[in-house]
Amino acid sequence: MSDIQTLTMQHSPSAGNRLLEFLRRDRVARWTSRLILLLLWQAAGILSDRFPTPVETIEILVLEFQTPFERGEWSFFNNELVANLLISINRTGIALIFIILIGVPVGYAMGRWWRVQAYFTDLVTVGLAMPAYMWALLSVMWFGFGIRAPVFCAVVSATPGLIVHVLQGSLSIPRDLRDMSDAFDVPSPTRMRNLALPSMASALIAGIRLSIIAAWGCVVLVEWFGSNEGAGFRARDWYQSAANYNGLMAWGIVVLVVVIVIDRGIIERIDRSVHKWRGSVGDFGARTIELTAVEEG
Amino acid sequence: MAAPSVPEIETIDPGSVTTSDAARRTTSARWKATAYSLLGAVSFLVVWQLASQYTRTEFDLLPGPLEVAEQMGVYVVGDEAEGIPPGWVFVNFWDTFRKTLYGFAGALILGVPIGILMGRYRYAKAFFFDFVYLAANVPLIVYAILGLLIFGIGDIGPAFVVGLLVLPVITLNVAAGVEGVDQNLLAMSRSFGLPTQSALRHIVVPSLSPFLFAGSRASFAASWKLAALAETFGGTTGVGVQIRKAFQGFSVTDMLAWMMFFVIFVVVIERTVLMRLERWVFRYRLRRGEDLLRY
Repeated sequence: MSDIQTLTMQHSPSAGNRLLEFLRRDRVARWTSRLILLLLWQAAGILSDRFPTPVETIEILVLEFQTPFERGEWSFFNNELVANLLISINRTGIALIFIILIGVPVGYAMGRWWRVQAYFTDLVTVGLAMPAYMWALLSVMWFGFGIRAPVFCAVVSATPGLIVHVLQGSLSIPRDLRDMSDAFDVPSPTRMRNLALPSMASALIAGIRLSIIAAWGCVVLVEWFGSNEGAGFRARDWYQSAANYNGLMAWGIVVLVVVIVIDRGIIERIDRSVHKWRGSVGDFGARTIELTAVEEG
Repeated sequence: MAAPSVPEIETIDPGSVTTSDAARRTTSARWKATAYSLLGAVSFLVVWQLASQYTRTEFDLLPGPLEVAEQMGVYVVGDEAEGIPPGWVFVNFWDTFRKTLYGFAGALILGVPIGILMGRYRYAKAFFFDFVYLAANVPLIVYAILGLLIFGIGDIGPAFVVGLLVLPVITLNVAAGVEGVDQNLLAMSRSFGLPTQSALRHIVVPSLSPFLFAGSRASFAASWKLAALAETFGGTTGVGVQIRKAFQGFSVTDMLAWMMFFVIFVVVIERTVLMRLERWVFRYRLRRGEDLLRY
């Protein structure tokens, strides 16, 4: 890694070298890769008869944005693109409240009392092993259309992951400090603020980030299998009733963009402000990637 | 990952008790922990049974644990009347597992070189960073859609998307492993004229393999789930197809039976195969009686 740096530093940049050096910068390298990704996408779109090109995908998104939602008046919020997206986000938000209300206390208690931990161990293991999409199918069967199915699915599939994260955080609370605050009868609000929260912050943020992404995935899945509105429904609608692969791809991209916006725009900022004292974060000013896809299912 | 379920009150001060005393205490603590753990499982089953009794309708929306177990039995031994051959569950799980393996193999073949490049060269790291970030954050449903889009209905799609899912994990872990290779050791081996092959074998591979293993293990459960999901979307064989049939036939019993099989397969493979493998891989750094894998 450092070999290249020292190499380029030793040579004084001649005219031909300057371009090469420019191309080697981190930022330029990242834009090169983005450009190549776009070109690959375009090539795939041209080669395959199903796979849409970037332009076709954007076209269909513009079309979605121009179509008024459910025969209503068109406005910025009342069109197929934004209205369906807001429905899904709203469902995710409601599910998230339940996930946090259940996951954080249970995880904390598991770290605090060994009996609680032993009691929940098997349940959490089984919960982690259950695939989210089977919960999605089951909740569609149980609750049908409406808001209950996506919220239920998100809660049952995302909570075990959050519990594990909170448990790890609560185990990282220094034992001796806790014993001391026991001995000196420190009131629990103070103890929470000054002892528990600071030592659990990283794990809490990681856990909540994961639950947001998992809940979002669940909501979209449930909407795909059984709903009459929302992002997942639109994707399926294009695919099944119109056999339009461009619409399917476009909504897939929208779902992905929401994840990236949540991750990059919100969570990372919170994480950075919480860990301000720690100084620089990561190699590219970004947090090192955590593998959500892996734990999300 | 998580801490042992050994009770904390039983923590032993090495100065005050003899070793046999300590051993006895830990054993009794283990027993207690197991008892509570069983209590948790039993209370879950009881809640399930009660819920199924109180929600009885003509649609049989929530069958009890016994009915589901019965259905699972049918899938294992087979049923002539319903046309289910014996060992049906194993046939289906093997189909899904095979696709998972293909995907894994593809991810290894592609991921290891990219990971080595990313760990070795700053340019490669910057170049591949966004690819890896993107691939690591794609929701499973988008992967399933992608498989359906590119390959249509068939069995290549599931294997392909499993590869896409595992690729970033392998790549990142290999990159971390390569970055962690002790440069001083490499320099020393060079100055002592150690052949490149032995340097690779004794320095690079040992510091790489734990990362590679950790990556594969972390993605095992997820890849398995994604393979089934992709099959439900557009597969022709495997567990996912059976699940799709259960959904289309509106049979909650079938669905729960497959779900339980799923849990059993994941937990059994993690606890027996992967845990043993992990112990064997990390045997040099394991203290006696210590387990690495808990969740």
